[in-house]
Amino acid sequence: VDQNAPSDHVVSSARALAHERVGPQTAPRQMGFFTDTTLCIGCKACEVACKQWNQLPDDGFAFTGMSYDNTGHLGASTWRHVAFVERETPLPGQGSPRDGAAATNRPFAELFPMGQPGPTSLLRDISPSHIETPVPLGRTQEALGKFAWLMMSDVCKHCERAGCLEACPTGAILRTEFGSVYVQPDVCNGCGYCVSACPFGVVDRRADDGRAWKCTLCYDRQKGGMVPACAKACPTASIQFGELSELRARADARVEQLRSRGVEGAYLYGADAASQPGTEGLHAFFLLCDEPEAYNLPPDPVVPTAKTVRSWWAMAAGVLSLAALAVGSAFSVRRS
Amino acid sequence: MRNGTHHDPTFDAERWQDGRNVGPVGALSGEGALQRIRARGPLADLGRGVPAQVPLDDHDEGRTYYGLPVLKEPVWKWFIPAYFFTGGLAGACGVLGAAAQAAGGRGTDDLVRRCRLAATAGIGASAALLIADLGRPARFLYMLRVFRPTSPMNMGTWIVSGFGAAAGLAAVPAVWPRTPRALRRTADAAGYAAGALGLPLVGYTGVLIANTAVPVWQGTRNTLPILFAFSGAVSAGALLQLWPPRDRIGRRTHAARDMVLRFGRIAKAAELAVSFALDREAAAHAPRVARPLHRGVSGAMLRTARGLVAASLVLDLWPRRRGGAALRTLSGALAMAGTVLLRFGVMQAGRASARDPHASFDMQRRGRGGAEEAMKRGVAEMPSLPGVDATGKESFHAGPGA
Repeated sequence: VDQNAPSDHVVSSARALAHERVGPQTAPRQMGFFTDTTLCIGCKACEVACKQWNQLPDDGFAFTGMSYDNTGHLGASTWRHVAFVERETPLPGQGSPRDGAAATNRPFAELFPMGQPGPTSLLRDISPSHIETPVPLGRTQEALGKFAWLMMSDVCKHCERAGCLEACPTGAILRTEFGSVYVQPDVCNGCGYCVSACPFGVVDRRADDGRAWKCTLCYDRQKGGMVPACAKACPTASIQFGELSELRARADARVEQLRSRGVEGAYLYGADAASQPGTEGLHAFFLLCDEPEAYNLPPDPVVPTAKTVRSWWAMAAGVLSLAALAVGSAFSVRRS
Repeated sequence: MRNGTHHDPTFDAERWQDGRNVGPVGALSGEGALQRIRARGPLADLGRGVPAQVPLDDHDEGRTYYGLPVLKEPVWKWFIPAYFFTGGLAGACGVLGAAAQAAGGRGTDDLVRRCRLAATAGIGASAALLIADLGRPARFLYMLRVFRPTSPMNMGTWIVSGFGAAAGLAAVPAVWPRTPRALRRTADAAGYAAGALGLPLVGYTGVLIANTAVPVWQGTRNTLPILFAFSGAVSAGALLQLWPPRDRIGRRTHAARDMVLRFGRIAKAAELAVSFALDREAAAHAPRVARPLHRGVSGAMLRTARGLVAASLVLDLWPRRRGGAALRTLSGALAMAGTVLLRFGVMQAGRASARDPHASFDMQRRGRGGAEEAMKRGVAEMPSLPGVDATGKESFHAGPGA
């Protein structure tokens, strides 16, 4: 943490206090994240900014040996995690001019930007005359021509119906006035129930601390009227922060834009209750270009509590038959 | 500069102390600043690291993110399956004790007494195990600061507390022979209360783990509470086989022993039947969901548990002429081991299931995720407990001061 952080925090606390004095908010605003994975370049600035602002300790310097992702997963001390998805299909616009237009995988798909008369392709634009096209490709180059990254900055989803919140037995997890889900460290007693209740595997308990931790949607910064640290640090606006209704409109427009440009697979993950009924919509939703599984996101997550109502009835049936068994065996024996 | 390298001992000291890289001029005031880090030596001890990937031969079964798990493995230590056993034992003893107390008659006094003692000891051990498993054991009373029907763990804490009070009171005459008459009557009433509270106590642990995202637990949510209920009954019967109630001196009756035997036999048969129903329910969700019930360490544990209970049932049904006491003790020991192993096997299966991303993905792709409930209701709104809104939104929707 640099020297700016503490002073920033003092300012935010002061603003928060000023806010309180003015009076309670009349209409709470629902804030959230829209993470546009097509803009993510995998720089991990969000991971660093989150660690730095929230003063989170490191959680080991593991080397996964699988990709540029050495963080692996969200955890108690990791509240942003950049996933690196490797695919054998190229994204439009990805590749090098040397691959040549004849390559079957079309490294330069023709893009049809809105407002332009014809297709545009880097190959046509620069019309490389100084290199022979197509260049016969070597085996490695062929393999690389069919290779693409997808990157996604993962975070707590702050679900509309949150499994962790509904499972928490102490009331340590609550919903803030910004609509985010917040774990109060001074109340959490580390029972670990939220860890298993989260369908996204976000919450985790740190062994040496004993309590559950996760993203707070920068509650302290929001109190001070500031943008969360990860969104502030994101250099490509892949992480966008704002009011949920506004974000949803922006995300819909972005999907339209991408589809019109030939990215047919673009869709929103968890933007509203209709697309993800199990959580009734996420306050941190995503724009994806592949199956959710590729990003390690569940395809149809559900808050466990929604299915537990019947479980209680099953329990009632079970224990009542147990009672019948106990009473039956006690009364059926001759007790003269 | 010494030995040609820059070296700042202050920086290093700070850095290795808490892993935050906060220099001496920084102040700890961020949202994560309260996260406590144990003083430590090697870096390898930090955190939980990156979880293990699923074995390579499973990769072709569907897309995953490098085979990494999508869920977090349950963080519960061995205390929790041990508690499932002690809690189930205590609850079922409370139920059987109350039933024997209601039946009354000669030869049941000692059974009632032993049931009450076992219920009290079991619930005492349960409380100790539950507190020991908390990340912050000193805060165990925080469990009782809210009443939250959406959280089976919170409901369970209230049940454990109520049962503990009732069972403890009921056991007073058992340890203090010269109990005053009024207190004895109160203890009898408490015995019935323990019977009533013992019912949810023995079954709610099944709901507790079914109310998670772990596929094998969520996928067996309708049979797991019933299995745990009968498993608790089996353990109570087994305990009373190992520690048989005395017959009344003078007039010989076998009432208590017959009660225990009948109770145990039917409970064992029911547990075996429900354990097969559990397999079927899991397999109906997706074959991958049922996998830890058959394969690996958890599969072996559950198979052994089933075998032990079945062997005990065979011994119970064995026509006996001589050596009845030895057979009874053996049967009790087998059944007891079987129920302990069942709880640990179910926990182990949950761990394996949480580690397996295909289990979550397959189950949800087959429409057993959020779609299941949404299709049933026709709206994208998940069912919740009637009359209960514990999503945390009510406090803000109601407006300030509400």
